[in-house]
Amino acid sequence: MMEINMIKKYLLKYGTAMLLFLLPLIVSKSIMTVVCSIAGYFIIAGALNSINGYSGQMCFGIAGFYCVGAYTMAILMNTFHISFWIALLPSGIMAAFAGMLVALPTLKLRGMFMAMLTIGFSEVMRMICLNWTSVTGGTMGIKGIKAPLFFGIKTSGASRYYYIYLVTALLFIFCTNRVIHSRIGRAWMAIREDDMAARSLGVSINLYKILNFMYGAFWAGIAGALLAPYKTYIDSSYFTLDEGFNILSMVIIGGQGTLAGPMVGVVIYQLLVEGLRFTGVWRYIGCAVLIIAMMWLRPQGMVGDSDSVLAGNKTVRTGSNLLSNLHWKTPGPIRKLIISVLY
Amino acid sequence: MTSAYFISQLMNGLCLGAIYALIALGVAVIIGIVGFATFTQGEVVMMGAYISFYVFLYGGNHVIPGILGSFIATWVLGMIIYKICYARFLDAPEHISLICTIGFSMLLKNIALIFFGADKKPMLNVIKSINYHFGPITVSNVQLLILGTVLILVLILSFVFTKTDWGIRLKAVSQNREAAALIGIDVEKTAMIGNSIGCALAGAAGTLIGIYYQSCYPTMGATLSMKAFTSATLGGLTSVPFAALGGILIGIIENIGIAFSSASFRDMFSFGFLILMLIFKPTGFARKRSVRA
Amino acid sequence: MKSKTGKKLLSLLAITGLSVTLLGACASDVPPAANIDTKSATEDAAETTGTESSKVIKFGVIAPLTGAHAEYGQGFDAATQIAAEEINAAGGVNGYTIELECQDSAADAKTSSDIFTRYGEDDSIMAVIGDFTSSCCKANAPLADEYGLVQISPTASDPSYASMNDYCYTVMYNQSTAAPWTAESVVGHYLGKTACAVMYLNTDWGITTNDYLLQGIDKAGIKLLGDESYSENETDFSSVIEKLKATGADCLVILDQGNVPTIINQVRAADWDCQIVSLGPGASDQILELCGENANGLVIPCPSYITEDNPTTSDFYKKFFEKNKCAPTDHALCAYTCVQVLAKALESIDGEITREKIKDALKDVQYDGMAGHTQFNEDGGVNRDLLIIQVVDGTYVIQKEYGYK
Repeated sequence: MMEINMIKKYLLKYGTAMLLFLLPLIVSKSIMTVVCSIAGYFIIAGALNSINGYSGQMCFGIAGFYCVGAYTMAILMNTFHISFWIALLPSGIMAAFAGMLVALPTLKLRGMFMAMLTIGFSEVMRMICLNWTSVTGGTMGIKGIKAPLFFGIKTSGASRYYYIYLVTALLFIFCTNRVIHSRIGRAWMAIREDDMAARSLGVSINLYKILNFMYGAFWAGIAGALLAPYKTYIDSSYFTLDEGFNILSMVIIGGQGTLAGPMVGVVIYQLLVEGLRFTGVWRYIGCAVLIIAMMWLRPQGMVGDSDSVLAGNKTVRTGSNLLSNLHWKTPGPIRKLIISVLY
Repeated sequence: MTSAYFISQLMNGLCLGAIYALIALGVAVIIGIVGFATFTQGEVVMMGAYISFYVFLYGGNHVIPGILGSFIATWVLGMIIYKICYARFLDAPEHISLICTIGFSMLLKNIALIFFGADKKPMLNVIKSINYHFGPITVSNVQLLILGTVLILVLILSFVFTKTDWGIRLKAVSQNREAAALIGIDVEKTAMIGNSIGCALAGAAGTLIGIYYQSCYPTMGATLSMKAFTSATLGGLTSVPFAALGGILIGIIENIGIAFSSASFRDMFSFGFLILMLIFKPTGFARKRSVRA
Repeated sequence: MKSKTGKKLLSLLAITGLSVTLLGACASDVPPAANIDTKSATEDAAETTGTESSKVIKFGVIAPLTGAHAEYGQGFDAATQIAAEEINAAGGVNGYTIELECQDSAADAKTSSDIFTRYGEDDSIMAVIGDFTSSCCKANAPLADEYGLVQISPTASDPSYASMNDYCYTVMYNQSTAAPWTAESVVGHYLGKTACAVMYLNTDWGITTNDYLLQGIDKAGIKLLGDESYSENETDFSSVIEKLKATGADCLVILDQGNVPTIINQVRAADWDCQIVSLGPGASDQILELCGENANGLVIPCPSYITEDNPTTSDFYKKFFEKNKCAPTDHALCAYTCVQVLAKALESIDGEITREKIKDALKDVQYDGMAGHTQFNEDGGVNRDLLIIQVVDGTYVIQKEYGYK
């Protein structure tokens, strides 16, 4: 029995890996553009999830960090002629620094106040990029950002650039998986579940909240940095509040607090947007109905963490059969979680 | 560049701020009674403007039926919004109903785009514009109407929520739902009424805004509602008079900022002001901290 | 716990991969089938009508059907359809019927280039008509080069766009000539003003147009009293207007499209009795409708004038009104012209039609239509003459014909 399971597991593992790596050979280039946008959104949605999902903060302005990363990459590449591979890390770090700047004043804030502050930050970031013409090109944006060379191979075009997205996305999954199973990740979740309890048990809330924002912002910055050479042209219209809300919708549809959540959300959202394109103006109505329907049917998202406070421990209100199989909050796991941070 | 110029810019800011305040009132009422934030408000404003546009089109240019029509229609819309976005999620974390309102606003905006068309609809000469001159200040009668409406609404709403039994019952729901239910308040019904009041205020605001800008179009609510939300946040989310104050302050700060620099920086002033205020006053101007926010 | 999430993730990845492959398979299956379908459909049609045409030429249209510019985007959709219907009703071009596919970019550069890529990958698309804003067109320009697919924009008037590469064309007049002309001939000669104030939309288009306008103002010796920009989603212009009013200017030049009626209303509401000139909106009925009396005296330099009474344009006006429930602007006419120009290019091609051949044929196209004479210059732009139109008692009146200096 064991062996069959093992074989199954390996087949699944390597089969998926093979499929992912051979994807550009199988499907057409126009499908690859969709796949690339899914991969790009997955990184940014995952970044948002690590802020909203793991530590339960309310960041609505993820587009701001996305913007910082993309512009840093574009400026480093075009103005300073630094190679893409070297500029990638500074772009993320720059965004993480912005994350720290946002995290510091938000420490005292809760709920909607925090959401509004991050929204404000996101718009201010975009306004700076829109108006600081000498550096960011203003409304003209930055044009002619070249796709990087990988040992002499050009990576322009969706089928090739896909590998950059794929590797980064896998790296993101690997890192985040490591982080959330470490002391840091457990601290984040402890803050999410009950920050008073976490504080009273000695978790340094402020430090972990700042770390959390910086971590999320870092990956958002990386996602932005990948976007710039892929699109070859960026301007501030990529980073509007609506874009931030779209990303937030993806995360919440997929489910917060799990690694798989944002991925599912992004896939559903993107396939829906692409699939409904033929309906023209009606497609946004389809999207809107889907968002509402998803909240009605599965408020914790498709594969969200059902045990957390984010799932709404008392979501079921009056006689709905669909919701009655939800998990209820049990104090046991949370206690265990907090204890595991300490020891 | 004289003091007269600055006074007239200040006046412009006051009038713009009054428009923000008008929408912010509805936001504060909704958050204050239902206990949840809403991102649909801008679209309700837009719907209100369109409804009064059709009232004016078929019923002639009379302000009162226009405002009444949009008030009633958006009241019903408020009931629908409550059923879809809040009723099931009263006990759930606030981001769930928030996403529902984002979805609903997307729905309304695109329905308007399809059924009303993308072009701007004229709302001309509903009120014959007359300008009054007081020294350096020029004010039109529509601006005075909006300023007056804000002032009267703030007074009425403050009175209702602090002095009348009914108003206190409404407020009680958002502050402690269980306790409210225990003393015999029908929580669901009260929250629905609260949401409808907020939406109907937005609808009436839509009519006034449509008259002021002499047009209505599907995207008219989007930017205004973000500013209104900022105003309500500055005012502590649930306080009606402070939300109005927040709106007027944002309007004035934007216009003073523009007087010194460029209109392209407008949003930077308002959001920058919000960030600064939140750093020093984490719960806005209001002293009391609301339960859910 | 770890293995559980890992497994979950893996199966998800697998599902994602599979669904994408499936989608790919579907997508790669569908176009030929669809092609056959349309072919047989047109063959049926051809049989019944008795002509021999059986081949279809497909053009992609990118237009902002939603968002801030939706009004113009929906005009694109309607106008291109009118043109295609007219051409097909007249028997098509060289035995080809024209078919259009229209998709919504919401004037968003990202969506626009996504759509362009999709058209680029679709071998049945022979040319792309669109997009509305210059920024979208410029974002698509590298893709046009990559796929060897012509992008012919009805409205991109940013001078740097058409010269970006060989595949970029525009039928809109070029701001590098139109904006200085507006300053010198309209503000200077026609109105006889010696000083003016300018307000412009803070976008790619607005900034370049403003730059060219200022050059013209400088050259004509007109005094520039104020130059103010505002962001795209602005609704309240009172502070900008107050600022410009305080400069004491008696002539205001507005560089914008959709916001022009709002601005005019607010200028009048602020009791500022100045001469208004607007470059960009064309002679749109929206302005008359939204401004009423406030529009009187407004001067618009405009490449064409479409009305129901004008015998050359009344047919188009009626068809457009029927389709879109509003009066056409110059922008819609330009979209119409795009299809006509492409049809002209097709006419001159012999043998099999390829994307490359269309690109080459467009260079030599000469088309005389409602929008005047259209011929591309080296860059891929056109040099169109402008009319001076003024609002008198609530209607547009042509004050100066083409060629006024």
